[in-house]
Amino acid sequence: MTADQTEDAAPPILRLAGVTKTFGPIRAVDAVDLDIRDGEFFTIVGPSGSGKTTLLRMLAGLEKPSAGDILLRGERVNEVPANRRPTAMVFQSLALFQHKTVGQNIEFALKMRGIAQATRRARAHDLMTMLRLPHDYYSRPVTRISGGERQRVALARALASDPAILFFDEPLSAIDYRLRKQLEVELKDLHRETGKTFVYITHSLEEAMVMSDRIGIMRQGRLIQIGTPDEIYTRPLNKFVSEFMGEVNVLEVEQGGDGALHAREVARALKGPKLPDGATRGHLVIRPEALRFLGSGETADNVLEGELYNEYALGSRVQYHVKIGARMFVVERLREQRAAAAPGTTVTVGWNAADSIIVPD
Amino acid sequence: MGGGCREPAVRVGCDGASGGELVMVVVAKPLTRRLIIAWTACVVAFLYIPIVCVFLVSFHKARYFSFPFSDFTLDWYGKAFSSLQTQELMLVSLKVAGVVTAISVVLALFGALAFARFNWRGRKLFQRLLLLPIFFPQAVLGLALLIWLTFLGVLPSWQSAVFAHLVWIAPIVTLVVSIQVYGYDAAQEEAAFDLGATRLQVLREVTLPALAPGLVSGALFAFLLSWGNFPLSFFTTGADSTVPEWLYTRMVAGYTPLVPTMGALIVIGATIMLVLGYALIVLRRRRANSHG
Amino acid sequence: MIARLLIRPAFAWLRQPGLHAAVPILILLAIGFIGPLVLVAIFSFMPPRSFTLDGAPTIENYQTVVEQSFYLSLLRSFAFAAGTVVVLALVCYPVALGLAKLFGRYAGLLTLILVLPLFVSENVRLFGWVLFLLKGGGVLAGAAKAVFGLELADMLYSNTATLMGLCYVYLPFMLFPMVLGLSMVQRDVVEAASDLGASRWQIMREIELPLAMPGLVIGGLLTFVLSLGALTESKVLGGSKVIMIAADIESAFTFGQNWPLGSALSMLLLVLAGGLVLLVLRKLDLDAILKRR
Repeated sequence: MTADQTEDAAPPILRLAGVTKTFGPIRAVDAVDLDIRDGEFFTIVGPSGSGKTTLLRMLAGLEKPSAGDILLRGERVNEVPANRRPTAMVFQSLALFQHKTVGQNIEFALKMRGIAQATRRARAHDLMTMLRLPHDYYSRPVTRISGGERQRVALARALASDPAILFFDEPLSAIDYRLRKQLEVELKDLHRETGKTFVYITHSLEEAMVMSDRIGIMRQGRLIQIGTPDEIYTRPLNKFVSEFMGEVNVLEVEQGGDGALHAREVARALKGPKLPDGATRGHLVIRPEALRFLGSGETADNVLEGELYNEYALGSRVQYHVKIGARMFVVERLREQRAAAAPGTTVTVGWNAADSIIVPD
Repeated sequence: MGGGCREPAVRVGCDGASGGELVMVVVAKPLTRRLIIAWTACVVAFLYIPIVCVFLVSFHKARYFSFPFSDFTLDWYGKAFSSLQTQELMLVSLKVAGVVTAISVVLALFGALAFARFNWRGRKLFQRLLLLPIFFPQAVLGLALLIWLTFLGVLPSWQSAVFAHLVWIAPIVTLVVSIQVYGYDAAQEEAAFDLGATRLQVLREVTLPALAPGLVSGALFAFLLSWGNFPLSFFTTGADSTVPEWLYTRMVAGYTPLVPTMGALIVIGATIMLVLGYALIVLRRRRANSHG
Repeated sequence: MIARLLIRPAFAWLRQPGLHAAVPILILLAIGFIGPLVLVAIFSFMPPRSFTLDGAPTIENYQTVVEQSFYLSLLRSFAFAAGTVVVLALVCYPVALGLAKLFGRYAGLLTLILVLPLFVSENVRLFGWVLFLLKGGGVLAGAAKAVFGLELADMLYSNTATLMGLCYVYLPFMLFPMVLGLSMVQRDVVEAASDLGASRWQIMREIELPLAMPGLVIGGLLTFVLSLGALTESKVLGGSKVIMIAADIESAFTFGQNWPLGSALSMLLLVLAGGLVLLVLRKLDLDAILKRR
């Protein structure tokens, strides 16, 4: 486990110490230790069933931990229910009150605190301005606005009571690609504007990379790696994390006495980083963009020949599948650097040892 | 009225033929479409024939009716409203239906949450238990309740009829409300709680308003089913009597021209309730849509 | 220690919010449904004509049921119930298909029109049939005579009239579950089957009926059980000619003043009908059926 390396002077706004949640024999969340700093955008990433939603629900006060402590600004809040925590959550389904108007939704938390109508209304309009919601939406039923607008209403509703921390339970998971990309940017901007602590969960590491200050990778109830997007990207802890990032080429390798790496699927010995001391096998991770097509005269640390199987245009980039031996390699190039060859022809592919990394299982 | 398929024996033959052909048709062709529409019209006519007859006869002047009639009158309606006995009957029916509606809606609200909202051990069993009274022959239930009440030493009256109606109607209303509960996102309650609402505020601000349409239609069901119920009332009202009960006794013995009139009044009462309920639902929807 | 192991799960079970919400209606069903049924079950083993539970248990009442050929009316009821299910299945299928797939935005209004009679007291509607079918001066006979000069045979007080009455009263109970079932069949699934080369007949057999089965089963079951215990239909439209089991039960309890005999008859009906209901309900997932809408 990667410990929290930076020792800031400011105490964390949220500290988790051995937080565990069991459902019968299942340990949904297993002894999680974590410090979340004031004002950071922290994202927990994990596949479904990894326990990330349960963890978030405990932070929000919707579930009680079976063991361990949750400290909010140094105070233990295990037993404090959600309605008495200075936090607010944006739900996966958004959970907008279907029978209320946009204004009534945004003002809800203030109404529950007995704040006067005029004050509530002013606050709602401020938030609508901030989130670029047209003001005539105020008295419109939430059922009659678009998906993106609903996201903004949910955000406004959560922000209304000025909570210290905002929790996000995969609010963008059911949205189409373009709107999701736009909202990711808006969320990051909102984080900057409000200066609040955001704790976000998602199953998409790509989404987490765009928005987060730090990312925690969760697997089977445990936080297995915590770091900045850059750290996670360049130094994934293990095969699971590296594969979670999307399509990467992972080869199971053994290191021979000469220091060369041998993969079962590739006939030729490969040059790459050293395995950790004492280890004889590991995984060689090569990113698709580290691979390039070699013309005559060009060379690299590793050079392999294979059949260009197919190509896929990704806008500014082009992805290729290249069959080398029994193995399909993924290659990604910028459009300007696309392969000259057509599918079915033989190509030469290469990469430098420094562009690959070795991870344990 | 239903064209060639009017007479019952013929009617059975009718669906034998056209039904057999229709069941094979899935992607409807114009002919199939027309046949289905015609058949539906027949079924609607079939459902309304007796009700229309009751209305027709209720306007008939002579003491004993014989179709086709010559003279029409509203006299029997005047008599129905001025007679103390019929006033009493309608009052008892209203009283029973009103109380049954109020109690069953409350029971059904919680029952529906248990049925569809909460995930608890015992829920499947509860769902099946709740369906049993609905799937139960009412006359037998009424008789069982009669000896049960007698055994407990309760004198049958309109109050015991309320109890009997509840046994059958509360589960039905629960099902009606459950459909609404299934269709609503329970995360709304958590969201309200997360935003600082107390349990009571969650109920008042979120659960009740969100379930309101289901509760309204549930109340409508409760009222109408109680208002028209005969088999349960028959055995459990004791000395009190509801309109359907009185109709039955008068139909079996001691026919009076007030029978079709009271029958028509029962239909009118039910229709008014239904129209009011429907208007309420439509109005709500309009109001929700008129904003913005 | 063992006691604590047993008590703790029971205690956890009692603390479920779902159970708490179910309590009011469970109490109602306990004192209004289960209580009476248990009493009827006990009374069926009491000596004939007793009104208390003091007597020594006996199976005399069940013997009486067999010896005095009450089982004939039970059989008759079964036959009527089965007939009602068959006729209604055929009558309702096209209408249900129309409501689920064809009528589109008119389906709501049509549903209202079809439900409305359900809320009119059953005996008012049956009385309407009497007025319609009555010999001589009835609406049908009168109209036939006035318009066509035909003399119609008497149709009231017969098995046919009773069957029609049953079909009439329980039509919505078959129709609406059927609509629910058929609307579970997605249009694109049907189109996919058709695209894959299935004939109309094959589509119905392979796709529509299996997918709509929960609705069809519930409708059939509801209709069967309710008409099995029907009382008014046979009394009003069948007259004294058609005696069904519910009428026997009623007269045993009321005119006969023989509670144990009435109880024994009720038990027979209940065990048969209840067994059937439980058997079928065990196979259905109510959540899946009701959630669709």
